[in-house]
Amino acid sequence: MTHNASQDADFIAEALPVFLSEAEEQAESLEALLLQLEDEPDNAELLNALFRCAHTVKGSAGLFGLDAVVGFTHHVETLLQRLREGQVALSPELSTLLLRCNDQIRALVAEAGGQPADPAAGATRDGLVAQLQSAAGVTSAAPAGRARSPEDDASRATPSTLRPWHVSVSFGSEVFRNGMDPLAVLNYVRGLGEVSRIVCDVDGIPPLEQLDPESCYLSFIFGLATEASRAQIEDAFSFVREDCQLHVLNPGATPAQFADLIDAMPGNPRLGEILVAAGAISPAQLQQGLRSQQAAATQGENALLGQLLTEQTGLAPQVVDAALRKQRQQRADAPAAADDNRFIRVQANRLDAVINLLGELVIAGAGAALLARQTKQRQLREANEEISRLIEEIRNGTLQMRMVPIGETFTRFRRVVRDTAAELDKDVQMEVIGGETELDKSVVERIADPLMHLVRNALDHGLETAAQREAAGKPAQGRLTLSAHHEAGSIVIRIVDDGRGIQRRRVLERAWQRSLVEPGVVPDDAAILRLIFEPGFSTAEKVTNLSGRGVGMDVVRSNIEALRGSVLLDSVEGQGSSIEIRLPLTLAIIDGFLIAVGASRFIFPLDAVVEVIEGRASDASLDAGGRGVVELRGQVLPVVSLRTLYAIDGPVVARGSIVVLQAGHTRFGVLVDSLLGQHQTVIKPLGPLFSSLRGMAGSSILGNGEVALIFDVPALGQLAAEPATQQRRAADRATA
Amino acid sequence: MTTLHLPPELSIYTAAELHPQWLAWAEQQSQAQADALVDAAAVDQVDGAGVQLLVALQRGLAARGCALRLNTPSRPLSQACDALGLSGWLAQLQVPFSPEAA
Repeated sequence: MTHNASQDADFIAEALPVFLSEAEEQAESLEALLLQLEDEPDNAELLNALFRCAHTVKGSAGLFGLDAVVGFTHHVETLLQRLREGQVALSPELSTLLLRCNDQIRALVAEAGGQPADPAAGATRDGLVAQLQSAAGVTSAAPAGRARSPEDDASRATPSTLRPWHVSVSFGSEVFRNGMDPLAVLNYVRGLGEVSRIVCDVDGIPPLEQLDPESCYLSFIFGLATEASRAQIEDAFSFVREDCQLHVLNPGATPAQFADLIDAMPGNPRLGEILVAAGAISPAQLQQGLRSQQAAATQGENALLGQLLTEQTGLAPQVVDAALRKQRQQRADAPAAADDNRFIRVQANRLDAVINLLGELVIAGAGAALLARQTKQRQLREANEEISRLIEEIRNGTLQMRMVPIGETFTRFRRVVRDTAAELDKDVQMEVIGGETELDKSVVERIADPLMHLVRNALDHGLETAAQREAAGKPAQGRLTLSAHHEAGSIVIRIVDDGRGIQRRRVLERAWQRSLVEPGVVPDDAAILRLIFEPGFSTAEKVTNLSGRGVGMDVVRSNIEALRGSVLLDSVEGQGSSIEIRLPLTLAIIDGFLIAVGASRFIFPLDAVVEVIEGRASDASLDAGGRGVVELRGQVLPVVSLRTLYAIDGPVVARGSIVVLQAGHTRFGVLVDSLLGQHQTVIKPLGPLFSSLRGMAGSSILGNGEVALIFDVPALGQLAAEPATQQRRAADRATA
Repeated sequence: MTTLHLPPELSIYTAAELHPQWLAWAEQQSQAQADALVDAAAVDQVDGAGVQLLVALQRGLAARGCALRLNTPSRPLSQACDALGLSGWLAQLQVPFSPEAA
């Protein structure tokens, strides 16, 4: 047995992280569902899902012996149960209470994961439990649901102290071997009160050939009229509690409850048996229904039992539906029980290890391909091309595994928006578009904080109070839209509000004041808006609780840029602001375009390459800084010479090329010596020595062992465009 | 065709021993193309495992297209079936044919 115990401890140590991450996910779903319920308070599906989430957290916490989580979640579950039964209505206060409880569940789960406990949390939780109990209890005297079940009739007939419960119990396989006998347990239960309509799930017992005679397959459903409390009923099963599934359902169950009991039933009973077992109809009613069905069948009609029962007994159609659903589900489940495992949980570091190896494989593959080309053996080359193709497919597939929809992150903001808006006394409707858009999990994790800051900013500074909005002739409710979509190998995330917009004048005044811009100088509109992202800039005249926590927009920008992303702000005064964030889909591997300047090799992300103009590099007239313009199909294209920009040695090539790159909304050209073509590029970070190098995002090792630098195209674009713009402006002034 | 006589003790203590015997008997019955007859008069001690074994026997026979007829169930067996919500099931084994539920 000690051996077993140590195995258990091992199992728990191994499984606990999975539980923690699952519980965290359940808590997130709880929050999302609660917020969704605020919009659709009558949605029974949502309530059911909510209950299931809480139940799952409680159940799995119980497996790990996390009593604090079980105890607290139990109270939440009780209130949710009342909500689901329609005995308590969901009010905004209740919603807030449940959200706060959910925060505590999270905290408890985090504590179980080894995080230090908050000393004040215990008192908070006690307070919440009291609120939960009063919310669940005060109104519990309200009329129970509309179920017209015989059970209701029975409860009216019996003295008030005798209450009819529904019990469903499924004994575990080890019960006999542990010296227990379900027969004895049931006989003990009979001592508590009157057992009625007991049904044994015969279909749960395998035929003789497949039976292990010493394993227990028994499960039962029965009604129990007793004065005993739930705890007392549950105690009757205490000897087998570890090894059985027990559901004790409250008296006076509503159709929704019957529906859930049916959902939770073990085995595969028939429709009639399901309904009888759940106590929705009596056996006599079932017999009558079956006789009617047989009578109809002899007349050639095909009557449905559920329908007949609804007609004859006034059974709520909802209950029949649940029973039918159960039956269908069981029939569908029977052949393919393995369908349950549609997701596999994989530890992130294992996946990272595979991706790292894949990076090495890509490099090795490129090296092999290079050698194969040099041998000029056709078959070897073809074999290598096939390998390269497969490597690419594996690469795509593996990276796909890391992709998660961004919607989960957006959903988290709902809560922030709700609470922040309430705190600021603003009415804000948040809308999410394109939540299914996928991006790399590591990007998602690192973008969440900057996004959160931008959302808070929009709420705090952007959106006005209802009164201010009405005064400005806008609808009282502000809108905040979070959207995401894919665009040319990047993901574009937009945060759009219809608030007061950014007052450029004030931004400029602040910039003058802070010496970010020389006083009196007026940059163009886009440049003024960019000032907001400069270090040490804050426009809020009064630093509020929410923003102004020392994390400025400059931090947001540098966080986004660290992800090889860019951020762009657009705003119309009085109409709102829009912040656009562009991010690469993944941080690990990109398709690159390899070029050479002198002896150096460089890589552009292929997504950024618009076109290549071969042999026209000499058209450009460059200044001393290597910047200039060329004419491309009647338009002026700013260009930059890498040779000059990075002071690369070597003879100037006569017929260099121009690579046209796209960075956000601008295009620019780069003068290069030669084009070496497409290259799968594994990104390695630059060492700290190079971190100050402008325009570089990383490095990569080529197949032949050479190192190539990877360009950060937006940064390079700024290098190319800024001086050129100034030159044009100077020219404009000269002509004016 | 041989009638299966149930032993006085039908419980977890005898289940492992009875299982192969019944399995062989069920195999034999299914080839006989007739109802399989079980005499349950002697059953004196019965528990959940015993009843479960009997249900499994009936289900095993049914799977082979063979009906189990159980005569003269003893009082302890009837009581155990009542307690386990199997009185309907037991009654069905004693009548010539069983009406199918939906």
